Parts: sequence; structure tokens; C-alpha cells
Amino acid sequence: MKNTTTLILRNQKYEVKAGMTLLSALKKLEILPESVICVREGELLTEDNMLKDGETIKLVSVISGG
Amino acid sequence: MKCKKCGGKAVINMRQNNMGLCKDDFLKWLPEQTLKIIEKYKMFTPKEKILVAVSGGKDSLALWDILQILGYQADGLYIALGIDEGINYSAESQRLTEKFANDHDLKLHVVNIESDYGTDLPMLASNTKRGRDKPCSSCGLIKRHEMNRIARDFGYDVLATGHNLDDEAATLFSNTLQWNGDYLYRQGPVLPEKDGLARKVKPLFRFYEREMAAYTFLRGIDYIYDECPFAEGSTSTEYKEILNQLENQHPGAKLHFFVKFLSAKKKGLFAEPTREIVPELHICPSCGQPTSARDFCTFCRMMGKGSDR
Repeated sequence: MKNTTTLILRNQKYEVKAGMTLLSALKKLEILPESVICVREGELLTEDNMLKDGETIKLVSVISGG
Repeated sequence: MKCKKCGGKAVINMRQNNMGLCKDDFLKWLPEQTLKIIEKYKMFTPKEKILVAVSGGKDSLALWDILQILGYQADGLYIALGIDEGINYSAESQRLTEKFANDHDLKLHVVNIESDYGTDLPMLASNTKRGRDKPCSSCGLIKRHEMNRIARDFGYDVLATGHNLDDEAATLFSNTLQWNGDYLYRQGPVLPEKDGLARKVKPLFRFYEREMAAYTFLRGIDYIYDECPFAEGSTSTEYKEILNQLENQHPGAKLHFFVKFLSAKKKGLFAEPTREIVPELHICPSCGQPTSARDFCTFCRMMGKGSDR
């Protein structure tokens, strides 16, 4: 697929259209922004960042139970 | 998004504070805020010896990191519970905790439940009345007992845990759903020392879980990412998700829920339980710790004293 960004959460890959904000991508995937931090090439991102074609964003779940 | 302090590129947006911060300012802000909380709630002084309960998870390692940055005398306590479940959960948690202690030249106490008591959490979960189908209950009991034992045996003034705001809000939510008056009365960032039980404090209680994850990531702290296999699908996780849905619609909802509870408590909304509800404490003839039971405490009974098994 062209013009896409890959998001990875706990080994699960999701593909979204590039050009939208990270916040829009999270909403589209029904992932609550409060439940993850987002990392691109080792750098932490705020949700207003635009997603670029071909890049991969790692989503780190922040909820720990027990 | 820009950093509210320096105008640089923000790495975190804390909507409840209407504030974005860059890496450097966030790593400065979080320990500064922790210090304010410690002082405001009179949790401990620089002269006191602190025992930090460290699980290898992000919150407790972050707490230990912050306390050493702030210059407090903080040693760690790791309790090995023998949880494997195919992912070496306890072994990996212990390795990460020991690595952190070695890297920062910090003192760490390690309690191994199997070596000390001849059993571990998975065995207790399947072999005891208390543990059956609810290992988290046994886990909590073991941790409370052993933390208090080590604090007492090694002369620590205070026990610090890494509970964050999401933990506290989820507990409050649970206690409120059940109108558990006794727990509501006791829940708070400081539990004073009482009847042989060490003072317990939660210096991170004002920070969102997400902020603690960001802190450990930005500080490069390796922590156990996998959830405890026994906690998967737990009620506390479910409550956290519900509260996050609320937070998503109303930024600051989690913080207000807990902080307003503390204010209400301070104003006397919750009454101290009467003697009939809170029985007098006695000394357990086996371990010497306080207990409301007539003979052995719940921990010792679970470990094979009396008839819990």
C-alpha cells in the first residue's frame, strides 16, 4: 500500500493513510491517546505530529495492571 | 506543539495541565513536582531512610530514579514471587531491577518467596483458599507483609511505592462502586505509621501513568513492559480503561476525581470506622507482625500455619 504509515502496538501492526495527525490515526484505530505514548525513530511525539509516508510509529502501552 | 517553558519542540502534551513540555524541561519538571509533593504531604525528610518497593515496572523504577536525583537516602526492595507463565516474568523483572541498582550504585534488598517460605505465588494461587482464582489477592498480601518486615528489620523510616494517579483513581473508583467506607477512609498518599506498620507514601500519586511511561522512556530506563500474566484482564485494568475514556472526553477528569476526593476527605466527609468495624490488632505469634486475627496473621496462615490451606 502506498502513502501509508505503520503503527505498531504490542506486535500488532496497523496501517493508516499518511498525512493525517497522530491523534486522528489513534482515533481511527480506536486507541485512546491516554493509554499510549508514541515513538518515532527513538523520539517521543505529541499527537499533533503529522504522519509521513513510509514511516513507522511505535505505540507503547502505558497501562500496567495488578 | 511547543514547550510551555522554552518554546522548543514538545515531546509530551499534558492536557489536564494545559501544558506541553520538551524533553529537557519535562525531565526537570517531573522531579521538581515530586519534591513539592513530598514536602507538601510531609512524606519524609532528607534525614530519613526510605525503602522503595521496586517491581521492575516503570513506576517503581522511575520513583527510585527520581528519589536518587533528589538526593534522598532510598534503598530498594524487590520481592521475587516466582511468576513464570512462559515469559520468565519474575526472573526478567528481577534482572531489570538489579541492573538499575547496579547501574546507579544503589542498595537493593531481594526477598525470594520460594527460598524463604518454600512456596511461590503460582503454588499459593492454586493450593490455598485465599489464592484460588485470585492470585492478585495473595500477591498483595505477600508484598504488604514482606515490605513491612524488611522496613522493620532494617530500620527504615518509611516505605515508598510507585503508585501513580491512574492507580489511585482506579482504586478510588473501585472503592466508590462498592461504597467501601473503610478503604475510602484509609486511601491517600500517606498512611501514617501505626501499631507496628511502617509509614507508607506514594510520591507519584499526582502523575498520570502516561507521564511515568514518558519519563522512563526519556530517561532510558529499561523496565518490564509485559503486564503481569496474573493481572491480565484484572478489574483494576478495566477501571483504568474506563477512566481513560472519561479523560479523553474531559481532560483532567482523573485528576479531579482523585484530588477532589482528597479535599473532601480533609473536610471530614468520611468518618473514622468504629471499633466494631476495625478490630484491635494483636501480634502474630509466628512473624511478630500486627494482625487483626486472633492467632496467626493471614500471611502466616497462607504460608501453612493454621488451617488456611
